[in-house]
Amino acid sequence: MDVVLLFTMVIGLLLIGVPIAVSLGFSSIVFLLVFSDTSLASIAQSFYQAMAGHFTLLAIPFFILASSFMSTGGVARRIIRFSIACVGHMRGGLAIAGVFACMMFAALSGSSPATVVAIGTIVIAAMRQAGYTKDFAAGVICNAGTLGILIPPSIVMVVYASAVEVSVGRMFLAGVIPGLLAGLMLMIAIYVMARIRNMPKGEWAGWGEVFSSFREAAWGLLLIVIIMVGIYGIPGITGAIFTPTEAAAVASVYAFIVATFIYRDMGPLKAETRESLSAAAVTDPMGDMPRPYTLIDKPWALITAFFHEDTRRTLLDAGKLTITLMFIIANALILKHVLTDEQIPQQIAGAMLEAGFGPIMFLVIVNVILLIGGQFMEPSGLLVIVAPLVFPIAIQLGIDPIHLGIIMVVNMEIGMITPPVGLNLFVTSGVAGMPMMRVVRAALPFLGVLFIFLIMVTYIPWLSTWLPTSLMGPEIITN
Amino acid sequence: MSSETINERGPFASAIHWLEETAIALILGLMVLVTFVNVVLRYVFNSSLIWGLEVTLILFSWLVILGVSYAFKITANLGVDAILIMVSSPVRRVLTLIAVAITIIYAVLLLKGAWDYWAPFAGLDATTGRWFPTGFANSRDQAWYETEQVPIPEWLRFIEASMNQGEEYEKLPRFIPYFILPFGCALILFRVIQASVAIIRGTRESLIVSHEAEDAVEEAAAQNQEA
Repeated sequence: MDVVLLFTMVIGLLLIGVPIAVSLGFSSIVFLLVFSDTSLASIAQSFYQAMAGHFTLLAIPFFILASSFMSTGGVARRIIRFSIACVGHMRGGLAIAGVFACMMFAALSGSSPATVVAIGTIVIAAMRQAGYTKDFAAGVICNAGTLGILIPPSIVMVVYASAVEVSVGRMFLAGVIPGLLAGLMLMIAIYVMARIRNMPKGEWAGWGEVFSSFREAAWGLLLIVIIMVGIYGIPGITGAIFTPTEAAAVASVYAFIVATFIYRDMGPLKAETRESLSAAAVTDPMGDMPRPYTLIDKPWALITAFFHEDTRRTLLDAGKLTITLMFIIANALILKHVLTDEQIPQQIAGAMLEAGFGPIMFLVIVNVILLIGGQFMEPSGLLVIVAPLVFPIAIQLGIDPIHLGIIMVVNMEIGMITPPVGLNLFVTSGVAGMPMMRVVRAALPFLGVLFIFLIMVTYIPWLSTWLPTSLMGPEIITN
Repeated sequence: MSSETINERGPFASAIHWLEETAIALILGLMVLVTFVNVVLRYVFNSSLIWGLEVTLILFSWLVILGVSYAFKITANLGVDAILIMVSSPVRRVLTLIAVAITIIYAVLLLKGAWDYWAPFAGLDATTGRWFPTGFANSRDQAWYETEQVPIPEWLRFIEASMNQGEEYEKLPRFIPYFILPFGCALILFRVIQASVAIIRGTRESLIVSHEAEDAVEEAAAQNQEA
């Protein structure tokens, strides 16, 4: 019964506008002080150890930093140009290119709202110019933007891996097939709709444009290669080169170098004045913009880049996001202590087994909880609360931990675009300048597609487990 | 409910603001550098900084614990505003004030915990009382506890006389990295109280934002209106 009290308290506090971290921390502290003999000092210790004792979580600030350098570095624009060069000539091509761009950018940034903002600001405007309706454009980007947390590297997966102690590398691999599948399903849906409604198609710009735009975008996309090769090694040649945390640190150094010295969209070598990211920049990316400086113009930039205002800004932005996420996670870890001490998941699992619920019923319940929670809350925060609760139950029911992780990620992805209050809906309505209800209606057809995808991911485990098992060997479940 | 910027800032407040932001940027930068250098050392020079990982983890906790107060200052903490935007404005105000009260109590409890944990390591006394401090207990001195790998810089040796009864520290004593706990938590309490005063006065709307990209969305929306 105490547990019901605890969770009612957490949810009640959340709803009246207490910060997520404080809701979790305050409820756990009160619970611990009333029902156990834990002291405040040991709570403070677990707060400190949430950072100092978790090597896995250390990957979070580094991934965030890498993606901050990448999103300030004008990578979005280059990725969009490349996508349009590849698929723009098909019917509904610009919309398909938007999904393609979201998938690539998602892999770089690992955050859904960030993907919607970065790709959406450019693509929605470009689609309207090309003759698509605003609603269709918003619907596409709103849905495709959610791929951010599914395609590796994903911060949410790092959080899951750390909360339930599974391998980050496995989680990333497990996200590859579902991520590609979700993107593909969205693209097919768009293509079918485009055929029926006779939507505009672009010009095929030739292989030359494909290659030259790829050369431009490649520096950014190479980041994913560095991370993946770093974590898994080159199949057949080397083993793993870095831990995921080290890979993230290397990636952020690489992203810094690309943004300041190669793309030169920020830092000391940036061109003096620049146009804003208007729709014109998509079709004519290099236009008549002033040329950025080279290292020969300003050799001292090699040193000043480290202290440049842009570098400080980007570090600060990444730091800010790390802080807000880690504050939530640190408090959720205190809650996790409560749950483990009280053997709560085991009790629930027992009750469920007694009531005759099997794995399928359990997964449906998980689906529903996360769909509701995902509407209100930031994914990593929700995950740290729900994962420790359902994980032990899933293990008892014989569900694969990696599969469970992917189910949870996909669920939250869909929660973000489920009416009435999905987070991505809000972001899209801001980015596209449309009222909320119009975005909801625009997103519905694609939401249907993603629902089918969720059912597939939930009940076809090998979609998520095949790749990690075949590359990293069968996993050993210790519990 | 966006993060409001504090517009009127005196020279002192600006300096502090700059200091906070730079500290956050610097700590994160150092974490990346130390980790990166260690990878390079391992592959290129076949050696490593043995203290690298521990220092990075210490910096990580410094980044977050120090940063939380900054997040309260600039209203960057994530929360759920689904209910708040649905209710009428007087109801919203009452709910927000309750939320503020809860947050203050949380900060006080955390500060007491932080002090109680750190004090013995610094040779000071923890407080008595379960919920709120009622006095000082005579705590066992643990100032001789050292970190696992982090070397102590020579210029810090002067602390040995007062902290370790003149005996030499082989590694950095623990009370130094742990110091962030009472310091950071005191700052958190301070910023929470500051935010509460602003909310009561009506110059700030709430303690939370609903997602991390709110600023970016506002920028995009502004661009839309111009276009």
